[in-house]
Amino acid sequence: MTPRDTAATGVGASLPRLDAREKVTGRAQYIADMVRPDMLHAAIHASPLAHARIRGYDTRAAEAVPGVACVLTGGDFPDGRMGAFIKDEPAIAQGKVRYPGEPVAVVAAEDEETARRAAALIRVEYEDLPVAATPEDAMAPDAPLIHEGLADYFKVFPAICGGNVASETELSEGDVDGAWAECDVIVEGEFETPAQAHLSIEPVGALAEVDAEGRVTLWSANQSVFRVQANVCEALQLPMSKLRCLTPKVGAGFGNKMEPHVQPLVVQLALKTGRPVRLILNRTEDFETVRARHPFKIRCRTGAKKDGTLVARELSAVLDCGAYGDDSPGVLGYSLLMSRGPYRIPHCRASGKLVYTNRMRFGAFRGFGNPQVTFATESQIDEIADRLGMDPLDLRLKNRMEPGDRWFGGGEVASNGLVECIEKAKAASGWEQGRALPAPPGKRRALGVAACAHISGLLATGAIVRLLEDGSVVLNTGAVDIGQGSDTVLTQMCASALRVPADRVAIASPDTDGSPYNWGTTASRVTYTTGRSVVAAADKVAEQIKRHASEIFECAVEDLELRDGGRVGIKGVPDKELSFFEVSGRAHWAAGGPIVGTDTWVYNRPSVDPKRAVAKGLPFPQIGVYSFGCMIAAVEIDETTGKADVAEVWSAMDVGKAINPGSVEGQIEGGFVQGMGFALTEEMVFDGPRLVNPSMMDYKAPTSLDAPFGIHSIIVEAAEPGGPFGAKGIGEIGLVPVPAAIANAVATAAGTRLRRLPLTPERVLDTMLEDGDED
Amino acid sequence: MEFVRPDSIEAAVAALQAEGAACLAGGATLVAMMNADLVAPERLVSLRDVAALREASRRPDGTVVIGAMRRHRETAEETDLRDGQRVLREAAAQIANPPVRNMGTIGGSCAFADPAADYPPALVAADARFALAGAEGRRTVPAGDFFRDWYETALEPGELIESVILPPAPAGTVGSYTKLARVAGDFAIASVALALGMDGGACTHLAVAVGACGPVPARRRDIEAELLGGPLGNAEIGRLTDALAEAFDPVDDVRASAGYRRRVAPRMVRQAIGEAMQKLGETQ
Amino acid sequence: MTGEPVTLPVTLRVNGAERPVAAVAPWTTLLTVLRDELGLTGAKRGCNQGVCGACTVMIDGEPVRSCLSLALNCTGRDIVTVEGLAPAGALAPVQQALAEGNAVQCGFCTPGILISAHALLRRNAPLSVDEVRAGLSGNLCRCSGYKKIVEAIVRASEARP
Ligand SMILES: Cc1cc2nc3c(=O)[nH]c(=O)nc-3n(C[C@H](O)[C@H](O)[C@H](O)COP(=O)(O)OP(=O)(O)OC[C@H]3O[C@@H](n4cnc5c(N)ncnc54)[C@H](O)[C@@H]3O)c2cc1C
Ligand code: FES
Ligand code: FES
Repeated sequence: MTPRDTAATGVGASLPRLDAREKVTGRAQYIADMVRPDMLHAAIHASPLAHARIRGYDTRAAEAVPGVACVLTGGDFPDGRMGAFIKDEPAIAQGKVRYPGEPVAVVAAEDEETARRAAALIRVEYEDLPVAATPEDAMAPDAPLIHEGLADYFKVFPAICGGNVASETELSEGDVDGAWAECDVIVEGEFETPAQAHLSIEPVGALAEVDAEGRVTLWSANQSVFRVQANVCEALQLPMSKLRCLTPKVGAGFGNKMEPHVQPLVVQLALKTGRPVRLILNRTEDFETVRARHPFKIRCRTGAKKDGTLVARELSAVLDCGAYGDDSPGVLGYSLLMSRGPYRIPHCRASGKLVYTNRMRFGAFRGFGNPQVTFATESQIDEIADRLGMDPLDLRLKNRMEPGDRWFGGGEVASNGLVECIEKAKAASGWEQGRALPAPPGKRRALGVAACAHISGLLATGAIVRLLEDGSVVLNTGAVDIGQGSDTVLTQMCASALRVPADRVAIASPDTDGSPYNWGTTASRVTYTTGRSVVAAADKVAEQIKRHASEIFECAVEDLELRDGGRVGIKGVPDKELSFFEVSGRAHWAAGGPIVGTDTWVYNRPSVDPKRAVAKGLPFPQIGVYSFGCMIAAVEIDETTGKADVAEVWSAMDVGKAINPGSVEGQIEGGFVQGMGFALTEEMVFDGPRLVNPSMMDYKAPTSLDAPFGIHSIIVEAAEPGGPFGAKGIGEIGLVPVPAAIANAVATAAGTRLRRLPLTPERVLDTMLEDGDED
Repeated sequence: MEFVRPDSIEAAVAALQAEGAACLAGGATLVAMMNADLVAPERLVSLRDVAALREASRRPDGTVVIGAMRRHRETAEETDLRDGQRVLREAAAQIANPPVRNMGTIGGSCAFADPAADYPPALVAADARFALAGAEGRRTVPAGDFFRDWYETALEPGELIESVILPPAPAGTVGSYTKLARVAGDFAIASVALALGMDGGACTHLAVAVGACGPVPARRRDIEAELLGGPLGNAEIGRLTDALAEAFDPVDDVRASAGYRRRVAPRMVRQAIGEAMQKLGETQ
Repeated sequence: MTGEPVTLPVTLRVNGAERPVAAVAPWTTLLTVLRDELGLTGAKRGCNQGVCGACTVMIDGEPVRSCLSLALNCTGRDIVTVEGLAPAGALAPVQQALAEGNAVQCGFCTPGILISAHALLRRNAPLSVDEVRAGLSGNLCRCSGYKKIVEAIVRASEARP
């Protein structure tokens, strides 16, 4: 399974996942598989109400259940607050509840059934407050205030907030208001996207254990042990030195396991009981209390000249924040930064409001607001092409960013594979033959396209590479592999940098005690940011190896080279070489000390150049490097029912360098199907503040029969200067263009355009019937 | 809660007489509801070991008897179901997914009577009867009378479904089941169960039942009877779909709106009849 | 659940071995017994409602939902979980195929997928893409987009002697 030479296992090889064997034998341990001696099981008591003041708790019946060890309510928690951007969220409801499903009390008992039974017996006295279920309700003049203390909350950026508006952001370049006069064609529309559930097949959970000194060890389903540590410590007002965070295998993230879920609850229970406590949410709780993709309402206007030159765009978005800020200000800011797309549009203004409501919190989800905005903007590119009678791909090519062009806001773009993505997707899909495709009777078929960009980057990361005594290597980064394969990819990079086979590199499991800081597995960042640290740390190890060799061989360091298989030798002298074993032995026992290479950095290229753009309330001053993509989807519509299916798709994505092509394809394929669900079938339906379909029976993600088998991944490699081996991220971009590409195909096939997701049979049929070209 | 596993119909019926007793068939619905804390029967009567309930047979006249414990997968592969009876095979094959089809039974599905389930319209279109066994003895009920309202059937407390009886379908008829669902294996937004016979342009057999568009399958035997003997053109099909629409009583739910069900179901009926006629080599 | 729990001892045949369990309540599912009593945590709980497929195990040679199977109703049956697909230390061909085909991402769906795939592969003929897609339609995977899983199983079916 693991070939032995570097070339077969290093950068560029589709090396099987390092943990594949563990996973196919059922031996991989996820949070719900973990058991500690004398462990208690916990359950939450969730708020049935959307907005209410808590008048009192009656926990006597719960405490009387045999086997119950502990019942905690608001008063049993320190009143710290957590939040990635706005510190507005307590570990458990304090004084009032803000959404249905919010944890109000938590129980630990000898077994899960007892804990759940006891939790159901807790009585809470509430005083109803008026409810603001939607951003419109929450912005009404007489709306109830969801966070009375908003002004006083600590914020990590200069937030523009007030009332129920958690954050307002605006970004502009050029003279938008004056530019419309130059346009020959202007398209305008309102777009709407629903809440999408992450639906990691693993529900969230956590397990905490306290040692005799009162120090806590916490395992949880997570995307960053360091964010878990920070959040829990903020909420529970613990010094970070008192909490160690570890990770079992994670049953996928997609954003829902980045910020906290039940971790603060189990830590507090463990501190109170002195025993290990595990809490695993059931599927309904996971739906109702974790987080989901923000519903967006977008107004967008785009103008062009007759020849297709794009001139101006104005986009404004209203995001339902839900009850707590979580990652939402970042999602708003990022979505606006992406709203110009990969084009030259000289005059652009994007603005948005993030509004607290009494719904579950919304947060990070693969794409981070970009799929929603891209749905609107790429729909409009097609509308303009149609109005001008131009080929939509030609219009995109005509307006694409050129080398040297800056991103919206002024950020530098170093590598750009967009043209190659477009050309390759176009050729592979047979686009030249026309967008309307032949279809069997009763069906219509068409191609639709969308182009897009996304970033990889953000914040701090590090790596430690250590040469073991026998010359093999251990790599420690602190980046959580949530299933996307970063352990494998980082190992391959380390192996290639040191020219050893991948099976000579061990990768340490993230540990806040021992790993260098890693902000998290999010923002398509691990390959790019952590990979950079891995290469830099490995290079430091290589330098030290060479230094040892130069001392032994009495030659200059510059005359030395690493050789495949873990050896160092004098260039041009094949038999003058030492093995890493010999070098490391010397370092450990005789001279110099053990060989360790360390690197840390924080992403610091500015996103906004104040000479070009005006930015207000933007949470991310430094976002990342850019990836590009183009997707063409062949969609079939059933004329009887309006049901749309994707028959085939070509997804050309610029990853800089595919460290592991098999993994890259896996991200493209998985991202496509998740995006297809968002486009066609997935919708969290709310009745006022309440989620109506918090079950897999009622919320429908694609099965193997719904997903097309013909997902054609086309890997484009426009090397990113400074990227490890030229690589940039691929985790999210494959999802970003999906709704737009499908909607554009549906528009061609149906004859009219839908601006609201998902494109259900109902909406498609109705638009076809209204269009009147049938019956 | 108590668990019993009788091995005969008589013993099962006896066990069911206790207050709060419920049959356990495949468990695909019952155990899911228990897991969600929605029900907690005081006595579970597992029908697993009642061999008689697991059988299916074809009588010489073409009548097919399917035991209540026959699983969806078995019914989907039931070669004894022929001609128009095949509507039931097609319905069974479209329920859920392979593991659920390996568990769920026709008795359990019909007793639960989810209005969006696939068997009810298929059985109504097949003119099936339910054989029921209770403390008072045995009786049969036509499928059209068995399904009474949202999740409500003709089953009396302490009674169980023993089998489903499909009358012979006239030779040369075709049976088909068409289902519209959000994703593969989901419950229906709307479904059409059809048995059709044509002879030289004249309709010899017609049964259409629409599922998921009201508490019980919609069927208009009166109009079907009027259409027998004549051609099935656009006008005739229109008469039938108009009449069926009067029988719809759909609701809005997470799968679709009531309005959409009203719009789409007649289109699906038309489509299903068109396809069946093609199979019969007839032109519309 | 209401009333005093009435528990019964049962013995289940799991992966070829008779496994006694001291006390099982009527409502306890096979999944719970496998995971909590027998320490077989390969089968996962993704929904507890029969939808996701992560808990799929084989009973008498057929894939079923262990979260919807009451443990007391499984006596006398032959139960196979992912842990029983190959002797310890070895991989069944389908396990090998998934591992090598980059068809395992987070792996949470994998045990259930393997059981469904194993059942498909017992039909001794090369499988088509569409047969595999249909056979896996009761196993949700949120990571892979299914393509590599389907490819791996088709490949495994072709590789058989
Ligand atoms: C993921 C999933 C998807 C599904 N999708 C579909 C679908 O697309 N279409 C569809 O039609 N169904 C679907 N179902 C339901 C499935 O068909 C169930 O199998 C069926 O509804 C119940 O059958 P069962 O044998 O499992 O009954 P059980 O769950 O054992 O019992 C159901 C009810 O019937 C009673 N009962 C059982 N047997 C008898 C009997 N012989 N006499 C009297 N009462 C009895 C029980 O007491 C209980 O109240 C789905 C189920 C799941 C879990
Ligand atoms: S846990 Fe059994 S199907 Fe999801
Ligand atoms: S690999 Fe993550 S759900 Fe399938």
